Amino acid sequence: MARRILRAEKKNPESLGKYVYCVIPYLKERESFGNLGFNDEEVYTLDYRDMAPVVSDVTYRDYAVDEQEVEVHRKVVEQVMQEHSVIPVAYGMAFKSKKLLQIAMSAGYQAMQKAEQVVEGKVELGIKVFLPKDQENMNSTTRKEVSSDFLQCLKAVSADFKNLKLFSDRLVMNNAFLVNRKSIDNFSDQVGLLKDKYNNLMVQYSGPWPAYNFVDIHILGGKRRGFR
Amino acid sequence: MFFIDDLLLRSLGISLPGLDMIWTLEQIHKFALKGYYNPDKIKNQIKETRLLYEFGEIDRQEYEQKNSELMHKLDLAQKVMEMDIGSKMDILG
Repeated sequence: MARRILRAEKKNPESLGKYVYCVIPYLKERESFGNLGFNDEEVYTLDYRDMAPVVSDVTYRDYAVDEQEVEVHRKVVEQVMQEHSVIPVAYGMAFKSKKLLQIAMSAGYQAMQKAEQVVEGKVELGIKVFLPKDQENMNSTTRKEVSSDFLQCLKAVSADFKNLKLFSDRLVMNNAFLVNRKSIDNFSDQVGLLKDKYNNLMVQYSGPWPAYNFVDIHILGGKRRGFR
Repeated sequence: MFFIDDLLLRSLGISLPGLDMIWTLEQIHKFALKGYYNPDKIKNQIKETRLLYEFGEIDRQEYEQKNSELMHKLDLAQKVMEMDIGSKMDILG
């Protein structure tokens, strides 16, 4: 009898852990994004009021930083982003049950509504300007001039921007820009012009990403629990 | 149990050369640990290594080797931080 109950619980998706990839506006009915999740599980939407967390069923565990698993998370969000504006969720957000996920959604509902307005119709694009080895000793004045030139040109074609950490001595600029989907081509053209102007420097242009650097919702406290 | 440690002696203005030397060595050791096992510094190195790979300055093999070393170091650093190696404990009760 006990075994039967255990089996029934295992098959019941309500009792399985839920890994959350992102949150999108609710779509009136459940949407499936295919078997792209961890262990090839189906990625689908749940509903909470007018929000839909995009999840897959998982056995609850801690998600340490692992390049392959981060890639699974990234690919799912990339797929969802093709059709929807997404509120990004940090890698590693797994909940023991649907009930706990709903509690988290309830706690963060207002913040998520605000975030939805920020990300609606927009994507994040990243720019890193890196010094080649032979120019490692570029003086700080020139560095500032270069980053200021990039920033002024790209601010004009974006809705918002964030200065990110210069994690290497060779990094001159590390910025995220929030760009309207319709303005992506315009932004790319500007990046192209800047690349030509500073063809002695290494420029990395990345995206489109979900607006990770423009949404910062912390729910349920803790180090890596809840949404970020 | 009555327990006299170097801080108590120091607060009383008593300086014992032997204890002072141990204290100095402890501080140097603590400083070195903090520098070597600094998770933020290691995270920066991980990001820099990734960027070097993406710009083609290092190849996949070198990237994977360096990344795996740094991830191991980060794991160790986080454990060291959790253990708070610098703190002292009165094991005599």
